[in-house]
Amino acid sequence: MTRTIPLSLAINGKPHTLDVEPRVTLLDALREHLSLTGTKKGCDQGQCGACTCHVDGERVLSCLTLAAQVEGRQVTTIEGIAGEDGTLHAVQKAFIEQDAFQCGYCTPGQIMSAVACIREGHAGSDAEIREYMSGNLCRCGAYNSIVAAVREAAAAVSVNEKVEAA
Amino acid sequence: MTIMEPNREPRKHGSAGDGMVGGRMSRFEGELKIKGAATYALEYPMENVAHAVLVQSTIAAGRVVSVDISKASAMPGVLLVLTPQDDLGLTMCGDWAGNPSSGEPYYPLPQTVQFNGQSIAAVIAESREQASEAARLVTVTYEETPSVTGLHDPNAGEGKVMPNLVVNWGDAEQALAHAEVTIEATYETPREYHVAMEPHGLMTTWEGDALTIWEPSQWSHGMARMYAEWFGIDYENVRIVSPYIGGGFGSKGQPLAYGAVAAAASKKLGRPVKLAVTRPQNFTSYGGRAATRQTIALGATKDGILQAIRHRGMSETSVYADYAEQTGAATPVLYKVENFSSEHRIVAVNTVTPGALRGPGKNPSAYGIECAMEELAYVLDMDPLALRLKNYADHDYQSGKPWSTRRLREALTEGAAAFGWDKRSHQPRSMRDGNQLVGYGIGCGTFPVIRAPSEAIIRILADGRVEVVSGSIDMGQGTYTILAQTAAEAMGVSIDQVVVQLGDSRLPGSSIAGGSMLAGSITGAVHKAALAARDELVGLALNAPNSPFAGSGANTLSVSGGEISTGSGDGPVVTIAEMMKALGREHLEIRRNTLSDDAQEAAEQRKAWTTMARVMGPTMGDYSMHSWCAHFAEVRVDEEFGTVRVSRMVSAFDCGRLYNPKLVESQWRGGIIMGIGQALLEEGIVDPRNGRTVNNNVGDYLVPTNADIPDLTVISVGVPDLNASALGGKGVGEVGIVGVAPAIANAVYHATGKRVRDLPITLEKLI
Repeated sequence: MTRTIPLSLAINGKPHTLDVEPRVTLLDALREHLSLTGTKKGCDQGQCGACTCHVDGERVLSCLTLAAQVEGRQVTTIEGIAGEDGTLHAVQKAFIEQDAFQCGYCTPGQIMSAVACIREGHAGSDAEIREYMSGNLCRCGAYNSIVAAVREAAAAVSVNEKVEAA
Repeated sequence: MTIMEPNREPRKHGSAGDGMVGGRMSRFEGELKIKGAATYALEYPMENVAHAVLVQSTIAAGRVVSVDISKASAMPGVLLVLTPQDDLGLTMCGDWAGNPSSGEPYYPLPQTVQFNGQSIAAVIAESREQASEAARLVTVTYEETPSVTGLHDPNAGEGKVMPNLVVNWGDAEQALAHAEVTIEATYETPREYHVAMEPHGLMTTWEGDALTIWEPSQWSHGMARMYAEWFGIDYENVRIVSPYIGGGFGSKGQPLAYGAVAAAASKKLGRPVKLAVTRPQNFTSYGGRAATRQTIALGATKDGILQAIRHRGMSETSVYADYAEQTGAATPVLYKVENFSSEHRIVAVNTVTPGALRGPGKNPSAYGIECAMEELAYVLDMDPLALRLKNYADHDYQSGKPWSTRRLREALTEGAAAFGWDKRSHQPRSMRDGNQLVGYGIGCGTFPVIRAPSEAIIRILADGRVEVVSGSIDMGQGTYTILAQTAAEAMGVSIDQVVVQLGDSRLPGSSIAGGSMLAGSITGAVHKAALAARDELVGLALNAPNSPFAGSGANTLSVSGGEISTGSGDGPVVTIAEMMKALGREHLEIRRNTLSDDAQEAAEQRKAWTTMARVMGPTMGDYSMHSWCAHFAEVRVDEEFGTVRVSRMVSAFDCGRLYNPKLVESQWRGGIIMGIGQALLEEGIVDPRNGRTVNNNVGDYLVPTNADIPDLTVISVGVPDLNASALGGKGVGEVGIVGVAPAIANAVYHATGKRVRDLPITLEKLI
């Protein structure tokens, strides 16, 4: 067998240990070794955005990230953005309400990008949302609804933050 | 308009959550998808799975002389390397139409190379990483032969005429010779690809002679039949599991060579095999839309009455199968014309056999005729909208039959009003905004109503829930949702009480999810089964000795909101769960199909679900039936740089009754967006030296991104068409893209005065 290395990864706030070859990507580690298949493989070459995850709160393409690179960092996937009690994230709710997907395959990546897009402060206008969501391809063509969902979720997040601040 | 009124009480119709057919319910399976919990084919947990990676040819034509697998086989983790030397023991399968197998052997890893990117070897290893690395070490020695790499190859020739694609009426030549005004032009479209976000691939496992396949499928039953025929096993022994599909657009309707390789490897190894087709390999593992070329001549009177259409088209196909991308498919049905001539040829080139991609045939065909009509309008100095309305087809001039429904006039006029077409100034280059040239264009589209039978099971459970069971599939069109709505309405239960199970070849038969035929077909079967289940339940409630209604004297009962009552306000009100308990039934199951009486025998049913034998075209009846649309595009072209942006679009559709407008609008927009890609971005580029698809990835084969797409206004002008389907809908999925590219091409001409007749319209063609 090829040489493997032991890794301990913090994913969605939980520790996971695994033994994989050093060349295994974060995407394959999630999908093939940890049964976290919510993160999708659309191209495996950093072009489509379907594999978008957060590492320390910032969006990364997990197909271009080695699993070994994220040791000691906080990884968040689509399985980890709803509340502990199962309450959906504002972006998830908005995606359903606005019908911001059809086949659903690019959706986890879109949602992870949308959460980050709002957090980055790049949801100020439809034009800005379009620009900052353009790393995530959707071949079903849900772009209008994705923009609407991000706009709606950004407003909801902003209200929540004000409530929390008060 | 409400088609069915199974409930005595009126319900609020059209609100988001009411569950009625026609309501704007959110996607039934939506929560699974936004949580990442919907399971796609390669995501099923599987113990002891081996990973297969394909090796593809690097020449366009020739013969594999030898394959050196010594280095690959010696790599860590490698379990098996398959090459053309391995006889996998397969037999050709019968075709889509239902023609039986020739009985010839089938070689998914062939000795003869017919195109660049053909699978010729596969490496199977413990991990995907190991298999990928070893696959790079497989060395193939070829003997090359001359090849033809595309329609523009000097050796491509003129191909052959497809006799079934020759259409003539009147005398087009004579009418053209005498027409006061004529135009003639040639239009081309390049190879285009599906680029579904979920790449192709599958997992397979054998238990004895039983083969289970997890593979994205637009047609679970048809694909199961073809796998069974390849491997010479009973149909019942193949199971295709495909509850969620990451987009298909026509690409996932049949098993492909890689599927045979994976299943054969799994059999040889005696363990499950997963084969993921890489994104680059997706460009040659199955065919996209064929490149096309068509020449159209129009003749008209000075005041714009069409006298003749002459169409001569061609598309490329492979050297081993005839596939026609029918450039004459929309030409005969869009306008009133007494003299018509159309012919389509296919030209064999060294490519994977092209396939159906959204709006097959109709799409390039509408591009041709809709550009030609606007060219005629400018020669006549006539408003292109007025020209279209002036030549409105009052019936189908090809079949001579009346339209079932055709609201294309309303699509044109209501679309024009919503777009503000009246603000257009006619002369090209006459509208500008700063350094941007602004242009307006129209493109009409059509897609036939294709009808097919289906079957469905409705199961009423002890707890009062209603299960809809069908082997049909949902790749994002909304099958789960509209079947839940159909069953809820027909059964008289709330949508929350409905469970929908789809995507498994062992479940009841259905038509393919293709040609926009599934929704009309499967809602018909589910509606029929649900009404029968409700009648059965009511019959039992009236007659069973333990029923609360026994001896009530009622001769019918109402089922509404999951409750059974006499409907008159007196007498008991019993939930379905309570009734099932009173009846002592664990479940009540009703299976119904929409096959004709002469097709009810088991063998005929099998054939209906696994072939196209029972599929009916748009004029196989008293009417000519089609969906229609009119797209209005505004483009802005940077005068110095030639960059084109679609700044807004309005599209009006006649797709009959909409089962769920929210989902339909999404699907229309999806088609329009793919059309914007086709107009401005998408083009498979082939290296003329070796037939290689150069831009075989989504960084180089450009599909629209979010920033490429403006707000798209979509309008429904349709009315229910009960000739087209049981519930009055016509096809939705295919028609959305048809007519988009010409609308944009026409707008670019209006903006710039430059007519680009080959897609995509890229900046170097404008400056």
